[in-house]
Amino acid sequence: MATETTIQAAGDHGDHGAPGDGDHAHPAFLAHHFDTPEQQFDAAKLGMWAFLGQELLFFSGLFVAYGIFRSWHPEAFAAASHQLNKTMGTINTIVLLFSSLTAALAVRASQRGDKQQTTILLVLTILCACIFLGVKYFEYEHKFHSGLLPGRWFGVAREFPSGELLKGEEIPLLPAGASAFFSLYFVMTGVHAVHIIVGIGVLTWILRRNIRGEFSKEYFTPVDNVALYWHLVDLVWIYLFPLLYLID
Amino acid sequence: MSNPTTTDRTTTDGAHDDHGQADDGQVHAHISGLGFYVGIFLALICFTVLTVVLSNVHLGKLNLVVAIVIASMKASLVVLFFMHLRYDTRFYSIILVVSLLFIGVFFAYTTNDTERRGEIDLDQGVKVLPSTGVIAPGGVPAVAVAEPKEGAK
Repeated sequence: MATETTIQAAGDHGDHGAPGDGDHAHPAFLAHHFDTPEQQFDAAKLGMWAFLGQELLFFSGLFVAYGIFRSWHPEAFAAASHQLNKTMGTINTIVLLFSSLTAALAVRASQRGDKQQTTILLVLTILCACIFLGVKYFEYEHKFHSGLLPGRWFGVAREFPSGELLKGEEIPLLPAGASAFFSLYFVMTGVHAVHIIVGIGVLTWILRRNIRGEFSKEYFTPVDNVALYWHLVDLVWIYLFPLLYLID
Repeated sequence: MSNPTTTDRTTTDGAHDDHGQADDGQVHAHISGLGFYVGIFLALICFTVLTVVLSNVHLGKLNLVVAIVIASMKASLVVLFFMHLRYDTRFYSIILVVSLLFIGVFFAYTTNDTERRGEIDLDQGVKVLPSTGVIAPGGVPAVAVAEPKEGAK
């Protein structure tokens, strides 16, 4: 595979590793069990895509459950869905799509070897993730107060905690199946939110590595892969949003 | 969706084989232009607005279909361009498509059960459609399968 004309990582990548098996030098980022940076890159991406495939299958269980319960309680799902705040859902969708854009642009900046721009774009992505969680907090809070809760807690908050009653807000009587909707709502958005939190952690890690100057035009694989994960989180939300918030 | 704003790979020979990589052992990423990415983002926003607007229009059962179709178009844009599948090794696309295929199998087989329980349990004398909870002729008494205390009241 490696030809004698190959010159690894020529140019602006300063610290080449020790010379390898004679005819080519190893760049510092190249693990010794890979022949070429390309092979290492492909292996990492393949692993990431296998993981993403698994993530899709993982989420599919929730989507199948949603499909079943919705077909059993169509009216209850519609009525319960109207209790969700469409505006907040739309804002969160736009925030998440924007964070996907900044993640994609961070990869682009990294591919071009622009460290500073990568940093800015990763910070923007993390900020958007935090905004998303903030909006989610207010949505959850409202539901907690209104007793729009899963399973046997459904409707409970009207009496408690602390006998506090909702101020002037009328809670409509919802059909029985509505509690199934809120069970699914909390599990689906909750698992998604866990992914967002994990994403913030991983993005922060990559941001730190970027600031330390570990990435270059020749080696941007971690930035690429973390962005792939982030896009997957976005993908799941793209389906959650209409299924939960936009039932007619 | 042509890509006039994209700068092509930087290899000197411009090789574009199946793996999308020149054979020099280096990583050759396809780098799309800034404007291209912003364009994809704007398209995603347009689809979002569209799906919100259409959710207010009463189309009956079609509402769900429309929502899923628009979501899938958004997902395709993200997968193809933000996640680079359009330019990457075909194998990643195969992983994605196979995952979706198995989700389809999962969905089809499960709903084929849950949607037909009222029809298939004739042998046991259970013939209550779970969608309605209404007792069907020859079925068990409705109380036996009525949902256990949904806490709404």
